[in-house]
Amino acid sequence: MKRLTLLLIGLWLSGVAHAHVSSTGFMTLNVNGPEVDGSLELAVRDVERAVGIDANRDGKITWGELLNSEHTLNQYVGQHLGLSSQSGTCPLKFKTLEVNERVDGKYVWLAFTAHCQTAPESLSIRYHLMEGVDPSHRGLLTLTMGNKVRTGVLGGRHPAAVEASPFLEYLGVGVEHIWGGIDHLLFLISLLLPAVLTRRDGRWEPVGSARAALLDILRVVTAFTVAHSITLTLAASNIVHLPSRLTESIIAASIIVAALNNVFPLVTEARARIAFAFGLLHGFGFASVLADMGLPGDARLLALFSFNLGIEVGQLAVVLGVMPIVYSLRNGSLYRNRLMPLGSAGIAALALVWVVQRALLPSG
Amino acid sequence: MKRALLSVAVLALAASTGTSRAAPYVPRDNADVLAELPPGAAHVAAPVSRLDVALPLAQFYIGRARATGDLRYLGYAESALVPWLTRAEPAPPPAVLVLHATILQSRHAFAASLEELDRALAAQPDNAQAWLTRSTVLRVMGRYAEAAAACEQLSKAGDASITTLCTESLHGLTGHLESAYASLVALPVQYLPEAARAWRYSELGEMAERLGLDVAAERWFKEGLKLAPDDFYMRTAYSDLLLRNGRNDEVLNLLSQYRSMEPMLLRIAIAEKRLGKPGDTIALLANAFAVEQQRGDPVHRREQARFLLDVEQRPEQALAAALENWNVQREPEDVLILIRAAQAAHRPRAAAPALDFVRTAKLEDVRL
Repeated sequence: MKRLTLLLIGLWLSGVAHAHVSSTGFMTLNVNGPEVDGSLELAVRDVERAVGIDANRDGKITWGELLNSEHTLNQYVGQHLGLSSQSGTCPLKFKTLEVNERVDGKYVWLAFTAHCQTAPESLSIRYHLMEGVDPSHRGLLTLTMGNKVRTGVLGGRHPAAVEASPFLEYLGVGVEHIWGGIDHLLFLISLLLPAVLTRRDGRWEPVGSARAALLDILRVVTAFTVAHSITLTLAASNIVHLPSRLTESIIAASIIVAALNNVFPLVTEARARIAFAFGLLHGFGFASVLADMGLPGDARLLALFSFNLGIEVGQLAVVLGVMPIVYSLRNGSLYRNRLMPLGSAGIAALALVWVVQRALLPSG
Repeated sequence: MKRALLSVAVLALAASTGTSRAAPYVPRDNADVLAELPPGAAHVAAPVSRLDVALPLAQFYIGRARATGDLRYLGYAESALVPWLTRAEPAPPPAVLVLHATILQSRHAFAASLEELDRALAAQPDNAQAWLTRSTVLRVMGRYAEAAAACEQLSKAGDASITTLCTESLHGLTGHLESAYASLVALPVQYLPEAARAWRYSELGEMAERLGLDVAAERWFKEGLKLAPDDFYMRTAYSDLLLRNGRNDEVLNLLSQYRSMEPMLLRIAIAEKRLGKPGDTIALLANAFAVEQQRGDPVHRREQARFLLDVEQRPEQALAAALENWNVQREPEDVLILIRAAQAAHRPRAAAPALDFVRTAKLEDVRL
């Protein structure tokens, strides 16, 4: 009963929790080539809790006591904080201690540099500060890499390593763009719908073999990929520039061409050429995404490559999802005479709306 | 494409705002005091290895956290329990689990708290403290039927007067406010443990407020604070009563010694704003909320919503915070802030979950 009484206080008051923020560290990392400039801020009180700097045990932490513990503190931070890049550990070198005032009190400011062997493409951060002392401690990270700024939470159940990789980031943007950018996909799919068929005497017939269908798909996808990679690279390198209103309008028009070609077939065997010709314009469309985002100064090529790879991965996933279904439908007249032409007509109608929106209506 | 751009922009924004940062400096004098340690905050050389030392130590830290509002103490309490919490075999002792549940509850990690309590009760079904804490957590979450069932279990394991408090406080939220108030008024104080007396006063004060009896409510709060001056829940409840009646100066007096606690700071900020006395309170609060937001802590969403609504006067953001808060906790205060924020943002429909809740639970409150 005694324990019950002890804990009763506040049991019913969980609605209000306690003030003060929990123990929080602040870290900045600035990647400059192989050098990473960093700063770590820990509350003076947290430093005392973790390493013990109150030498005379009077409950007051003075600047002198902190200076006397500088070596111990650096050692502690060195053991509980680590940076590594793709080329291995980036050893930390601490600069002299300083103090920073935050609204909730004074913080110890540790500036450091980390030397990586080569410029980091990805950076892993091991953050175990205050471990075993205050499990609720977290580190708030601000990481600057090129002209990109990222923030993250370190420690606790969060993953011990934070990937700050332009490769993964731009790969993700590429995938996201192709899935979000339904116009590119509709263009490609319009070109692929007849891949399981062949045109004979003015009529569609199922393609002879799976191999023939596969080859046709491969030709179209490759032509599209090669073409948009060329113009994406040219545009991202600022060699060629086209106004986005023009490219966006032509991209929409390209869908109409590809889709109507399924309803009123003009080009049946050489659809890869359509894919290539219009793929050049789609590349400019992709480039506008990169232009909006900006490429990191020190990792331009890598980012461009991974963005493009992301587009291909996303595109391939859709092709792999759609084409087996289309292939399985190829023998039925429903697909040949209804689904494919009507679906294509629908796509063309949708694209017509886009053309009007993009080319004719006032922008914005 | 737009989404990707937006998230990049948001990240950049988050990085540039957050906590204000001045330039670091080197203090002039070695004798400059950088920090004064509160009790129990000094360095501990080795972790405690004995359970009979760790349990009272954790209790001491939880007590400090409650009395001061200092969240770091919850971390110290948890670290004292870690050796037992992290071992796989044998399972942690129920007493450790109950204390851990209390720490989690204080951080508003209600689901995790319930899990620890379930583990404790599986091992020790007559653990009165576990049932009481369970009832409290469920009540804060608005799961009144389950909370009542936990009170019921408490009656088998614990003190009858505490069971009455537990049960009647729930009756007061579920359509029997008047009779619950009467039965708590009649509850003989002398049989209650001291801590439970403060609970009774606090409960009576709030019930009186919900009944519209502000004079009686003030009397209960004042008496309760005489008994338990450090009870900051009661102190904030009393200051809310004063704020509602426009007695802003009295709020500043009542809270002048409690500027270290966020919920208190919030009331101070509201009073200061109304009196046209701007101080550093707003900056302190804004910083604390920004850090919490970046950490991903849900602890003070209710206060944040009120701060955005009553101090910063940004109703849209207040509504977003109030809705987020509603997902975590559902006390009468949470109902109020959600309805007020939805009205201020001219989106009355956003308060539908709170209004449904009031109807289903039969919550009575003249402030609604």
